Amino acid sequence: MGTVVDKLKAKSAVKKTPQDLYVRPSDIPQGLFVACEKCHAAIYQKELDENLRVCPHCQYHFRLNAAERIRVTLDEGSFSELFSKLTSVNPLGMPEYDDKLAKSQALSNMKEAFVGGIGAIDGIQVAFGVLDPFFMMGSMGSVVGEKMTRLVEYATKAKLPLIVFSGSGGARMQEGIFSLMQMAKTSMAVKRHSDAGLLFISVLTDPTTGGVAASFASLGDILIAEQGALIGFAGPRVIKQTIQQDLPEGFQTAEFQLKHGQVDLVAKRRQIKPLLAKLLRLHQPGAMK
Amino acid sequence: MIPKVLIANRGEIAVRIIRACHEMGLTTVAVYSTADKDALHVRLADEAVCIGGAPARESYLNINNVIAAAIATGATMIHPGYGFLSENAQFAEIVERCNIAFVGPSAATMRTMGDKATAKKKARAARVPVLLGSDGTIASLDEGLRVAKQVGFPVMLKAANGGGGRGISIIRSATEFKPIYERTSLEAETNFGNGSLYVEKYIEAPRHIEAQILADKHGNVLFLGERDCSLQRRNQKMIEETPSPLVDVGLRIRMGQAAIRLAKAIKYVNAGTIEFLIDEKGNFYFIEMNSRLQVEHPVTECVTGIDIVKEQIRIAMNQPLALKQNQVKTSGHAIECRVNAEDTDNNFMPMPGKIERLMIPGGPGIRVDTHIYAGYAVPPYYDSLLAKVIAYAPTRREAIDKMRVALRHFVVEGIKTNIDILAYVMENETFIDGRFDTGFITRLLESAK
Repeated sequence: MGTVVDKLKAKSAVKKTPQDLYVRPSDIPQGLFVACEKCHAAIYQKELDENLRVCPHCQYHFRLNAAERIRVTLDEGSFSELFSKLTSVNPLGMPEYDDKLAKSQALSNMKEAFVGGIGAIDGIQVAFGVLDPFFMMGSMGSVVGEKMTRLVEYATKAKLPLIVFSGSGGARMQEGIFSLMQMAKTSMAVKRHSDAGLLFISVLTDPTTGGVAASFASLGDILIAEQGALIGFAGPRVIKQTIQQDLPEGFQTAEFQLKHGQVDLVAKRRQIKPLLAKLLRLHQPGAMK
Repeated sequence: MIPKVLIANRGEIAVRIIRACHEMGLTTVAVYSTADKDALHVRLADEAVCIGGAPARESYLNINNVIAAAIATGATMIHPGYGFLSENAQFAEIVERCNIAFVGPSAATMRTMGDKATAKKKARAARVPVLLGSDGTIASLDEGLRVAKQVGFPVMLKAANGGGGRGISIIRSATEFKPIYERTSLEAETNFGNGSLYVEKYIEAPRHIEAQILADKHGNVLFLGERDCSLQRRNQKMIEETPSPLVDVGLRIRMGQAAIRLAKAIKYVNAGTIEFLIDEKGNFYFIEMNSRLQVEHPVTECVTGIDIVKEQIRIAMNQPLALKQNQVKTSGHAIECRVNAEDTDNNFMPMPGKIERLMIPGGPGIRVDTHIYAGYAVPPYYDSLLAKVIAYAPTRREAIDKMRVALRHFVVEGIKTNIDILAYVMENETFIDGRFDTGFITRLLESAK
């Protein structure tokens, strides 16, 4: 039975090629790749970071937390934080609010959704604020409003230009009317900064909506929107349910708002720092001489 | 468990690597594009995974898909071959991070040598001669002229953003400098969107010689001799040989020592090639390092008896090199001709298509590395290399004769090839006398117009 070769093989063992064993189980470690939230392509984490967390395939701009925003916007090591000790309380005794705050604080290693301080862009000193969309959706309660207000007041006093990156769902529901009061308070502070002849550049990132969009974020002398950001007051779903109509294509995107005169320009993330540097230089005393 | 090697490549080199793996008792995984489903490497490997569409960026350059194929098949090692992802540092890094052995240098080394300015700096630090010139781009006409006078005319003006032989001007005297500088800068501005230039010494009629090295993870580095790659058309090598008819023992030793110094300085691991230009006086200058296997590696294998691909795999398995430098003995002469699917009467246009009839040459001293077979359709998506014919004989003259006959016996019907031109070169007096430089093929083809 079988061929001659089969019989030969059955009779005497085939000598195996000697091989030093060098085998490690291969696997893709956790976090090596991330999926794009828009096009779902797998992106090498490091490549995503080097690309300022913009998808290299579809240009989707991942949201940045406050620390990342500071890193990609300000000169390295130039940032020093102000008013960092302010923390929220639960003025209305809202159930679960304390837990939510504690959880956000633990996850983000921050005390509140707003970080403000002094930094430099291409060597030019600025008062810099950023809302972190990962901290309770960057919502504005009394402490966020207070930190923003104090930053603006500091900038006014120190005669510094002000740059604020917004990324927020709006007023913080858990603080009710206290949150709504922050809209007026921050707006008044911005007005005094403006009256002092100082520059305020507001950068609207994904998402800038609700009470933040309806107060200081829309009050910049120059409004820059980051590419693809959702910008509006009420969200598209709420509007659709209210008016019972389909919304136009690209409704409330940065590009839509530019087309309808609500922002001055839309920029890719990589363009924002050079753009800010240029605008700051142009607005320095004597720049136009 | 037997190590499993995924070959992230196609064509003759994938076949070459699969053979080496099988000889070593390793199992292999081929990857292929939809255009390559009938390719030889797919048939020879133990397993094969389709990794995407015909365009290379969808398949052979698609890092995610190659990695996914490796993980899915449980590959423990990836050999990248040449071209495609072989010098992609990010790919090497991801492979390492996935606990897969990469057959090649570390991602960090690849990054260092991939940046021309850094590579040059490293070479200079390792006392390897580099072409004199400006440190980066020149700021002004005056600075350019000053550097040019320092290095001595003739010099080259190169566009910082140029490439592939474009954006280069040659200046032979100080009086020519201003007009040529202005013209080149304007051209660079128009063509590459950046008018900045740098100055480099120009070598008249240079030879292109490269040094093959092997380095293990234990700090041992071997120099396996040089290859003469001067016979090129439009910067594409056509014919390579070793030893170079131009290089004498003294030059070989100096070049080899320089190559070893550089490899040790950058802690190089695996097979690598250091490219030099050689001027008429026999001075050599570092141009770049290729941190991968070279197409023309078989000529070195013939004269040294060392299987470079197997050594690469052993190095990737952390094994120390078995030989010491004084045990590397070379003998004889080897020549390689690259047979391409191209129309030599029509500006060497690539000629994909179906191979109707095929006769592959043979006989003692003839080696043919190829992936083609009768009935195989050459896809239009990749390079046009069909086969490498390697002739090996005790002397250069005998190797040339062997090659001449082998090429005459090489029959490919159905598509056009460059075999006739290669065969002609084997009969050309200047080539046989070994008096050629990098412009030889271009001048030869010009003379036939």
